[in-house]
Amino acid sequence: MNYVLSKEDLAPFLAQLSKRFQVIVPAKNDSGIVTFQEFSGQEVCLETERLSSPKKFFRPAKEKIFSFAKKKEGYEVKPVFDKTKRVIFGIRPCDTHALQALDELFIRYYGLDQFYSSRRKNTLLIALQCTKACENGFCQSMGTSQAVGADIVFTERGDEFFVRPETEAGRAILDRKLFKQTGDAEPSSKISCKVSLETHNLAENIYRGFESPVWKQEAERCLSCTSCTQVCPTCYCYTTDDEFEFGSGSKSSRFRFLDSCQLKRFTTVAGNHMFRASRSSRLRQFVLHKFSYYQENHGMQLCVGCGRCISVCPTKISLVEIANSIQKQVLEGAK
Amino acid sequence: MKLASKKAKVGFFSLSCCEGCVLAVLDLEEKLLQAFKQIEIVESRLLMEKVKPSALRLDIAFVEGSVVSKHDLNKLQYIREKSDFLVALGACATIAGIPGIRNALPPGLKEKIKRQAIKPIKEKVFPLTAFVKVDYLLQGCSINEQEFLDFLNKFLHGAKPRLQEVPVCFECKLRENACLLLKGEACLGPVTYAGCDALCPSQNVQCIGCRGFTNDANFESLDALFKEIGLSRKERYNLFTYFNQLPEQLKHLKGDR
Ligand code: SF4
Ligand code: SF4
Ligand code: SF4
Ligand code: SF4
Ligand code: SF4
Repeated sequence: MNYVLSKEDLAPFLAQLSKRFQVIVPAKNDSGIVTFQEFSGQEVCLETERLSSPKKFFRPAKEKIFSFAKKKEGYEVKPVFDKTKRVIFGIRPCDTHALQALDELFIRYYGLDQFYSSRRKNTLLIALQCTKACENGFCQSMGTSQAVGADIVFTERGDEFFVRPETEAGRAILDRKLFKQTGDAEPSSKISCKVSLETHNLAENIYRGFESPVWKQEAERCLSCTSCTQVCPTCYCYTTDDEFEFGSGSKSSRFRFLDSCQLKRFTTVAGNHMFRASRSSRLRQFVLHKFSYYQENHGMQLCVGCGRCISVCPTKISLVEIANSIQKQVLEGAK
Repeated sequence: MKLASKKAKVGFFSLSCCEGCVLAVLDLEEKLLQAFKQIEIVESRLLMEKVKPSALRLDIAFVEGSVVSKHDLNKLQYIREKSDFLVALGACATIAGIPGIRNALPPGLKEKIKRQAIKPIKEKVFPLTAFVKVDYLLQGCSINEQEFLDFLNKFLHGAKPRLQEVPVCFECKLRENACLLLKGEACLGPVTYAGCDALCPSQNVQCIGCRGFTNDANFESLDALFKEIGLSRKERYNLFTYFNQLPEQLKHLKGDR
């Protein structure tokens, strides 16, 4: 059974949920950016445009993973799992697909990453379908324009939401006073993206352009500022570091931090060898990881077409333009 | 380093600067007292009641300020000789910082300043690395207090402190700020080392590079972007030389002045 919720009743619904969950909503921050933040009655922003994703609740910038203390013999290690009961409202279809890509790596492929899966297990997702195309997104090309794996799916329809519960857990949080049953068909959430990427044999064709001059041409503008990887909902790379307490007790914690392949530091290994010293090789790593390597290793794309990396790049580098022009080159060369 | 049982001997020294970085250390108050469990300050003008130049060897010397005179240089060399680990503290010490503005002045003005100086000064203003081996850099004007504590903490535990080799944009994105460059305003974030938690852009103010240029800076591209935004040659020159020395790649910004 599906439901409708009047937009006026969204805030009361979220307020109700706040009693039992940490509720996360998209809302504008002080600098006018739409970010995911804890709900405390602020205006929920339904705009499609948003530079930040809910990644920070699954792969935070800084995450304590265990504490360790010196004992008479050896160390005592205590892992830290985030078990906060959370509801994320307003996650967009592309970002639900991003979580699928992360699940593949952190739950299925590497064996269980319990720090990630604990957050995942304890979070309910209320997806919000897009009814208007965003500036740089290309979810249609990537096949990510419909929400997956959400507990409830909302679609805007005039001054109300059409609500489709997808899981038992999702159904259980719908308040029967606010949500009215409906027999209507789901409103269409078909949009026309302004950006489009050629995806036929993408992984293979773009890899064949490994030596293309395009990488170098584009990288001349690249500032290696890492903005692209920071805002990407699927960039997961991290580094670890320890923090200690002063005094003799030797109580310490290990953290993991988001990292970025656009940094020289990231590509530096033992003996100070830098395996991707040139800027172009780092830019290429970003694009090939998204479109080629992940497909090869995991059978899925690591890019969900959200377009954020394009929106934030100060020098207007677009992975779509790069991929399209390399594919064109490769296919023309093959003729 | 074996410090397990005894306290580390630490000295704070100032060359030519405003002494703001050591003041920032003082600002730590409670937290500094925590650190005193493991360190003993044996030499410091600001942190000790009576200053007595000590003959003791130091485990760590923190040195703030630039080298602008022979006097500074002698002092620096003396500190280096008696210290196992030398940390450059703040922009003046790491990149010549504010005193270093002198290096970017037109020749006539430079001469005038040289004549008016109270003690004989050097032709140019230098960071510590120009003369001695520096083991670690704590960047910024002034230093980030948390970073100072983190460094000390790691050092005292025998862990290797790591330089924060990421640009300010990295932290700026984590703070979910609207990017100044995208708004058509200048910002040195992409070429400047982070560690300040993107302090300035988070207040909607451009980064002026106080933590020093990264070893991976794409100056040409950023300069081209500034030009596109509408900054004049002089404005670009001034921004790039605010805290830092003009990079080789941007020599053309000098003009004929
Ligand atoms: S955002 Fe643009 S300039 Fe910055 S690292 Fe990415 S591609 Fe390069
Ligand atoms: S690579 Fe760019 S478009 Fe693709 S998911 Fe990441 S940020 Fe979005
Ligand atoms: S290698 Fe680069 S592009 Fe791939 S996930 Fe890591 S940071 Fe993102
Ligand atoms: S405002 Fe400055 S520091 Fe922040 S992302 Fe933009 S260029 Fe980088
Ligand atoms: S943003 Fe730039 S100028 Fe401001 S404190 Fe950080 S490094 Fe210094």
